[in-house]
Amino acid sequence: MKSPEAAPSDTSRFGGNAPATAHADTTSGTLPIRSRVALTMGAFGALTVVACLTAPLVGGTPISLARALDRSIPFANNVDAQIFFIARLPRVLAGALVGSALAAAGVVFQAMLRNPLATPFTLGVSAGSSLGAMIAITFGATFGWGPLSPVPLASLVGASIAASLVYWLATRSGRAISTSVLLLAGVTLNSFFSALIMFVQYVADFARIAAAFRWLMGDLDVGSFEPLWGAMPLLLASYIIFALLPSSLNLLSLGNDAAASRGVDVARAQRLAFISASMATSAAVSIAGPIGFVGIVVPHLVRLIVGVDHRVVLPASALFGATFLVACDVLSRTLFSPVEIPVGVVTALIGGPFFLWLLVRRG
Amino acid sequence: MAARSPRLIALLTVALLLGRAGTGASQSTARAKQDNPQRDAARIVSLVPALTEMLFAIGAGPQVVGVSSFDTFPPEVRALPRVGALLDPDTERILTLRPTLVIVYGSQQDAAARFERAGIRTFSYRHGGITTILATIRELGKVTGRNMEAERVATELRAHIDAVHERVRGRPQPRTLLVIDREPGTLRSLYAAGGSTFMQEMLDAAGGRNVFADVKRESVQPSHEALLERAPDVILEVRAAGVGAKEGPDARKAWSSLASIPAVRNGRITVLVGEHLVVPGPRLAQGVEALARALHPEVFR
Amino acid sequence: MLTSPPVSSATPHAEPSILQASDVSFGYRSRSTQPRALAVRNVSLAVPRGSFTGLLGPNGCGKTTLLKLLSGVLPPDSGRVTLSGQTLSEMSRRVVASRIACVPQETHPAFDYTCMEMVLMGRHPHLGPFQLEGPADIAIARDALAATGTVHLADRPYMTVSGGEKQRVVIAAALAQEGDVLLLDEPTASLDLGFQLEVAMLLKQLNRDRGVTMVLATHDLNLAASLCDTLVLMRDGSVLTQGATRDVLTPAAVRRLYDVDADVDFHHRAGHLTVVPCGRLRHEES
Repeated sequence: MKSPEAAPSDTSRFGGNAPATAHADTTSGTLPIRSRVALTMGAFGALTVVACLTAPLVGGTPISLARALDRSIPFANNVDAQIFFIARLPRVLAGALVGSALAAAGVVFQAMLRNPLATPFTLGVSAGSSLGAMIAITFGATFGWGPLSPVPLASLVGASIAASLVYWLATRSGRAISTSVLLLAGVTLNSFFSALIMFVQYVADFARIAAAFRWLMGDLDVGSFEPLWGAMPLLLASYIIFALLPSSLNLLSLGNDAAASRGVDVARAQRLAFISASMATSAAVSIAGPIGFVGIVVPHLVRLIVGVDHRVVLPASALFGATFLVACDVLSRTLFSPVEIPVGVVTALIGGPFFLWLLVRRG
Repeated sequence: MAARSPRLIALLTVALLLGRAGTGASQSTARAKQDNPQRDAARIVSLVPALTEMLFAIGAGPQVVGVSSFDTFPPEVRALPRVGALLDPDTERILTLRPTLVIVYGSQQDAAARFERAGIRTFSYRHGGITTILATIRELGKVTGRNMEAERVATELRAHIDAVHERVRGRPQPRTLLVIDREPGTLRSLYAAGGSTFMQEMLDAAGGRNVFADVKRESVQPSHEALLERAPDVILEVRAAGVGAKEGPDARKAWSSLASIPAVRNGRITVLVGEHLVVPGPRLAQGVEALARALHPEVFR
Repeated sequence: MLTSPPVSSATPHAEPSILQASDVSFGYRSRSTQPRALAVRNVSLAVPRGSFTGLLGPNGCGKTTLLKLLSGVLPPDSGRVTLSGQTLSEMSRRVVASRIACVPQETHPAFDYTCMEMVLMGRHPHLGPFQLEGPADIAIARDALAATGTVHLADRPYMTVSGGEKQRVVIAAALAQEGDVLLLDEPTASLDLGFQLEVAMLLKQLNRDRGVTMVLATHDLNLAASLCDTLVLMRDGSVLTQGATRDVLTPAAVRRLYDVDADVDFHHRAGHLTVVPCGRLRHEES
């Protein structure tokens, strides 16, 4: 360790025996934050756009873009156009929105719980969604609302009940949320809802069990833009809040007191983080079911590339999450065509080995 | 997520149910004496609704003392005690009914072994096409000592199906999508009949061509893309029980997102409700006729 | 148990107090104990502007809690804390943070921030809601690192440096907040003697040359004696006595605080009082 030079200290703002500021310019090797944010958003954004433009062209049935865009052929006869606009485009968009929402929610939950292993599903929001969806599937619910069909609607209702319960449990004891109470409440609710899910599956009949089971594996085949419209209000609201969070997230991850002493309104930041991440998760699950691993693989991958500053990690994860899930969906559609592997299985098959590798790498 | 193991159980049982259950040899335990079948089948408990229907059809109804949780036909079964089903056979309850014959699913080997240890005969259900259904009726006839009635029922069933087939012979066979299940209000989680199931044979007999006949599986889960690619001319949705009177409009609304499919464009979507459509039992011929009426309405005017 | 502290003759009414606690009490909530045990009870103290005040007392006397109350991180159950006359709980956290900075005993970030990133986080109170640090902020952060002799650690992950280096980085982060008041909780606990002196000198310099008010919580009597011009002696959540160091730091005080028989003498070469413990006393009425 170098010992500080005994240079005149009047040029340094804070005194002490230290080299003057001019020498310090060469010490930091990383780019300043403004450049990093611009660079990462540009790079990951470009990647997302490329993914979303090329994914609709790939699939089980070979189609030609020229034919699909050919307006001279009446739409009713143009199978390529039908497949492109009805089957693939909404599906790719769903993949982008769901992947982005889950990745961003993952980042926010990890910061809020001060635990890099937290996922969007840790606090029971997805268990609530799943329970709602299970009940709707099992008992053949038929009541929709606007663009939301029965199962997504039920899953949103389940998610809000779960999130409200966790929120209430965690905020009863005062203003700032203790992360251990939050974690405990979430894990408890997870177990409770999972038990209820098991019970519902038990009383269901076979065709329903198969359908319910299938829903749990995740499915991006939305078939139209309706389910996306239904989830849009929640997604928009959560993204608006996400934009406010990153610097608070950095400070929150130091601890509640450390954050407060640096000017963060801890209670407010925690509430905003919880609400926005829960909304994003609920919306994502209502569209495509609970797709795992996106919320944890993407943030970790992104951190490996861009560092841990949330002002870079959050937007980068939102963008890369979209790319990641769109790519996984392409794999799910094409690997064993014409049979489709559920996209949740693909993300798990990629996520599992990735984590093993991370573990090995850390030694 | 915590619901891992029940999912596995569900997957296994569904696979076993929808796959070839009870492979191999004779359906009834050969060990039991065949000299007095009527006494040996004096008290029957049936876990399989299709076979319950068969028993009543061949006149063995009075011998039935217990049925599964899912039995609904004929009306007499409503008064009978319920003993569980595929996933949850209540062996205790079954034993208290003192049966001499228990009809089980092919995959319920544990339960069957328990009954045999108690000295009770078991009859194992085999899933299959129309030929298998007819063979099962005859087997049940043998086991209950009602060979003549069973022969009559099987022959009538075959004749009825053949008659329907005759009526539609020569008509052009529309490319048909046979939907077994889907999420209400959408086309997600859609299950269609595949090429190796009794429903495929029903469709053949009714004069239709399954768009998924080439997929040698019991059921298919097509994506929107696959549906667009196969482009059926007729969509038949079959359901065991109705949820409400809005079946038709709901189906039309759900399919409207794929308006370019010929069936949707031409309004040829029919929802058929009734167990005779999905239960591989003696009412199969009624199911075939219902399918035929939907596919070739002009023939049945 | 005293409920109001005896005010020493050297109470700085002459200099205005920048930070003041008026009859403040606080108890941590615990479901098992009813009623709550108070960690701080009816404490009144005044921190003179520009002073170097020490909170001295044995472990568990409430110094850390009092520091948190003084920084506004914890709201008092009763009484109030004022900064330049304004009640802390009525001020926004951002404004408070731009005036008061804290150096806690331990800092455990959940993620692998570099030392530079840790120090830059100290700039948060001075940035707008969507503002990112600019060159000026980065220069301030570098100066803060320089002041604590940790410039060479700028790009190293915080969690990989030694305990002493960590503490210096946290001090640098507090410096980067550019506050008028610095609250430190056992800042030299994990430092080698050499760095103890360095940090002590740095703090002394900041206090003397830049007028930064320091409040230092410690149980190290000699450290307090070397740095502080004002002392607040605490035991069991209450203030026993407060005033100028030379008036307050007496063998009788040490006996009351620690049940220890000690000599308190002025050390000429060091230039401040020193405390030399000579023996343990049984607990008896003083």
